[in-house]
Amino acid sequence: MVAAQYFDGRTSAAQVVTLTSDGEWLQLRGEVLTRQWLMRDVKVSERLGDTPRRIELPDGGHCEVGDQVALESLLKQAGYRGSWLDGMQHSMRWAMLSAVLIIVAFAAAYRYLLPWGAGVVAQSIPPAMLQKLGASSLQTLDKLMLEPSKLPAERQQALRAAYAKLAALPDAQLDYQIEFRSAPQIGPNAFALPDGNIVMLDELVALTKNDDEILAVLAHERGHVEQRHALRMVLQSSAVGLVMTWYMGDVSSLLATVPAMMVQASYSRDMEREADDYASRSLSLNGLSPCLLTDILRKLEAAHVQRQGEAENNKKGSVMDYLAGHPATQERSALLCPAH
Amino acid sequence: MQAQQEHAFEFTGKGWEYFKIWIVNLLLSILTLGIYSAWAKVRRLQYFYRNTRLADASFEYHGTPIAILKGRLIAFALLVIYTVAGNLNPLLAILAFVLLAAVMPWLIVRSLRFKLYNSSYRGLRFGFAGSDGAAYTVFLLFPILTVLTLYLLAPFTHYKIKQYQHNNSRFGDTFFRFDASAGSFYGIYLKAFGLLVLAGVFFGISVALHMPWLALILPLFYLYIAGFIAVRLPNLIWSKTGLGEHDLYSRMAVGKYLWIALTNLLGIVFTLGLYIPFAQIRMARYKFSCMGLLAQGDIAEFVAGQVQADSATGEETAEMFDLDISL
Repeated sequence: MVAAQYFDGRTSAAQVVTLTSDGEWLQLRGEVLTRQWLMRDVKVSERLGDTPRRIELPDGGHCEVGDQVALESLLKQAGYRGSWLDGMQHSMRWAMLSAVLIIVAFAAAYRYLLPWGAGVVAQSIPPAMLQKLGASSLQTLDKLMLEPSKLPAERQQALRAAYAKLAALPDAQLDYQIEFRSAPQIGPNAFALPDGNIVMLDELVALTKNDDEILAVLAHERGHVEQRHALRMVLQSSAVGLVMTWYMGDVSSLLATVPAMMVQASYSRDMEREADDYASRSLSLNGLSPCLLTDILRKLEAAHVQRQGEAENNKKGSVMDYLAGHPATQERSALLCPAH
Repeated sequence: MQAQQEHAFEFTGKGWEYFKIWIVNLLLSILTLGIYSAWAKVRRLQYFYRNTRLADASFEYHGTPIAILKGRLIAFALLVIYTVAGNLNPLLAILAFVLLAAVMPWLIVRSLRFKLYNSSYRGLRFGFAGSDGAAYTVFLLFPILTVLTLYLLAPFTHYKIKQYQHNNSRFGDTFFRFDASAGSFYGIYLKAFGLLVLAGVFFGISVALHMPWLALILPLFYLYIAGFIAVRLPNLIWSKTGLGEHDLYSRMAVGKYLWIALTNLLGIVFTLGLYIPFAQIRMARYKFSCMGLLAQGDIAEFVAGQVQADSATGEETAEMFDLDISL
């Protein structure tokens, strides 16, 4: 016997009733009410925690049942079976298993699906679009942090000529040009734009002892462009941002961008290695030593360490290694130039 | 005159219980690339509705996953049209924007109808009878005027939206009524604005006194303002809403609300989101514990009425689709 409240679906009045079943029929008895229906004609709502369950009746009314245990035994008697999900939704074991599987799914998607998808999308973007993207990012950078180069025009021309002579790898897809700029607050650096143009900062030129080292840096940056690294990073971080926003729901979108930023940093580690590899092949093709890149990397690191005024930077190797965008120079050097 | 009787809402959801339901459904949503999320949404709403109790009976959600899927497809199509048009050329972008603005009020009405029609209490369905014409006034005309008046009209627009929403909602055949005044909306918005000005003054003082650390209190100011709006507006809106001869109330407190919201946020961040179901339960528990119904006599006397009897047409339109629009 199950205690229930009966609502007729026409008024909001509740009637206290009891439900019984002989397995085939469901009998309802109240103070003024006696009815019965075939068990297969009534619809029993799915179990959801301890929430009251609904029995929808053919007369348009329904019963609300708070006594889970009594109802369960009545339903069992009638041969009612819950859905396959019923057990899963109410078991702590399944909850824990789900948590683990969700973490695995996220990790796998992040490690394999995301780079692969971003790569596919990035490679399918037409050159015209890349040109537009490159031009607009250079415009933005010029506005925000870059200044015109102070290098003499002849020196610029000489470097352009040297770069033009650097033969591209057979699978190269884009034309390359150098844009000279200056940015004292960034320090020695060079970066690739999506359209193949490479921004070279005066500070980096000043750091190099010969043009071959500059070529090594340019070859490295070219690797970034050929493999569409900048685009892939943008695609990946926006995808992560999107997923985080969806998952976190009402948590502010500000929080959702934090993991996206962390992803960017750790992704560029893989990308730096790819670009190093590209540069190494490119230098070998041109009869230059990959060790050139190692040399300039060392100098860059020294310059940056000096800029930050952190002498203890090297001692904190392990922590820095993990946090930094560039993989530790020593690690990269060993790969590029084993004999060094 | 019958005696007034107070019925408090009660929310009986439990954190761990909901966690189990939530996480299994989340896993299925991920494995089906999001398609199952419509089923998960139905289950979530059912859990929350059934745990919401008033006068010894609970609410029920009747929406179907297919209707929710349809709504999501529509929203997705609109989003695609909007982004693609925006990238092609500026003229198309403007066209897409106009198209979107033109269909939005119509979609909002469909969504409100769906939401209310698919909610019931004590066996009687809720319903929404707002007209499309009025919807275009409150969801399109007033927002445009709001922008044109540099947001001076914003509280009035908010008031009109709530008035339209609540005056057109019904339970069985009994309509809700909305008795708030536009002035009371302005009151809350002005107080929030005053607090914002105060924060600015405070910042000015901290600069003038060369004590920049004083400005560290500013985030607390902003937090309080956010909490103030999130509490005072629902309090006003619900306390001025009635159902037939009965009145509703909401009496949330800013401090308590902020405490729950903040600890929820921290919990979610530090558990990588696993605290989300607990956070939702906590917030619902607080919100409903502050709400209630002041009944004039018996609340068993509502009737389904004509509208429910010829449910075929009502059902047809209301079952069409659901959009995730929160107002």
